[in-house]
Amino acid sequence: MGILNTLIQRTSSLDKSVILPESNDPRIIEAAVLLVEKSVAKPVLCGIPEEIMAAFEKCGKSCSGINIVDINDTELINEFAFLYQKQRPNVSEKVALRLVKKPLIFGGMMVASGRVDAMVAGAASTTADVIQAAALTAGYQKNISKASSFFIMEMPDSKIYFFADCAVNISPDSETLADIGIATASSFKKLMNEKPLVAFLSFSSKGSASHPDVEKVVKAVEIAKDKDPETAYDGEFQVDTAVSETVARKKLKEIGEVAGRANVLIFPDLDAGNIGYKITQYLAGAKAYGPVLQGFAKPVSDLSRGAKPEDIVAVAAITCLLS
Amino acid sequence: MERQEIEKRVKEVVSRILGVDESIITPESRFVEDLGAESVQSLELVAAFEEEFGIEMEEDAALQVKTVGKAVDFINKYLK
Repeated sequence: MGILNTLIQRTSSLDKSVILPESNDPRIIEAAVLLVEKSVAKPVLCGIPEEIMAAFEKCGKSCSGINIVDINDTELINEFAFLYQKQRPNVSEKVALRLVKKPLIFGGMMVASGRVDAMVAGAASTTADVIQAAALTAGYQKNISKASSFFIMEMPDSKIYFFADCAVNISPDSETLADIGIATASSFKKLMNEKPLVAFLSFSSKGSASHPDVEKVVKAVEIAKDKDPETAYDGEFQVDTAVSETVARKKLKEIGEVAGRANVLIFPDLDAGNIGYKITQYLAGAKAYGPVLQGFAKPVSDLSRGAKPEDIVAVAAITCLLS
Repeated sequence: MERQEIEKRVKEVVSRILGVDESIITPESRFVEDLGAESVQSLELVAAFEEEFGIEMEEDAALQVKTVGKAVDFINKYLK
């Protein structure tokens, strides 16, 4: 069984719920129905109930098993505005009331208030909008101040690597790179139930080259170790040093816990990350699942605008496991 | 409403949302680079301007506004 089916099956056993706030999109309606049919997670839709019911009718689908929440429910709106303002005191009560009526913010508040386990959006919104809503509602997880993303890479021999950040941060500084490493280690632990061995990648292995870009990565490793001493972070490594024990033994005096055995690869910038995952996908025949957003205190993820209902189900399953 | 009055109220809103002293805000001030706004605060600024002036703005276009002076121009269009 591939990693995706394994993850979907694991989610099914956990009784999780996920809010899909873009209920005016027919793909969301179909995905909600699939989530119920396959017993993956309990879908929650928010919007104007009459409009959502009409959308089900138009698609010829039943809304049985799907929780529909009225986005104008005064009690909920007031509670969410109160919670929002508590988190972000610079905003007045009236402005908070205005903000929480927006579907993505409403969905984020459903997660932040603990009513649902996760939110998946982006079928009809930009990644930036989803990140903004998640940051304003769920906030960031401990030790993290920036959102990032990861890909699950399933190699032809079934070995799994997590690659980050291949989609969000264009030119991360050392602090952001450390955040990406910490967030990806946390995502790996939750999804794989295995110890993450996190390699920060570069064109240099432990000082084999000298350049400000190398120094940026070295500093990121130091920050990550300092913020999260329980997790195995190391670098800077070239990718061969990170994943091949033979190469690591040749290039390094001491290989430590991560070199040659890394299962989480942190790329120094978006050029490297995006090229790296696509090369692995197209030339090495790996399957790539993602990008999945990470770094938030509660799980929120993004969809590609072209996502099909089956893709939405897969992202929902993965996102639920991050809770 | 006079442009001067709009500018005064825009500055008050910006000062409140971004937590910066009103005295440093000028029409040329850029929200992110000069006033330290985080990108996530742009949605809050738009909602706060809407509440302050009792208007509904086109959100995508409003989020493209980068300076205080341009925000005054943008809001002014809705008040005419």
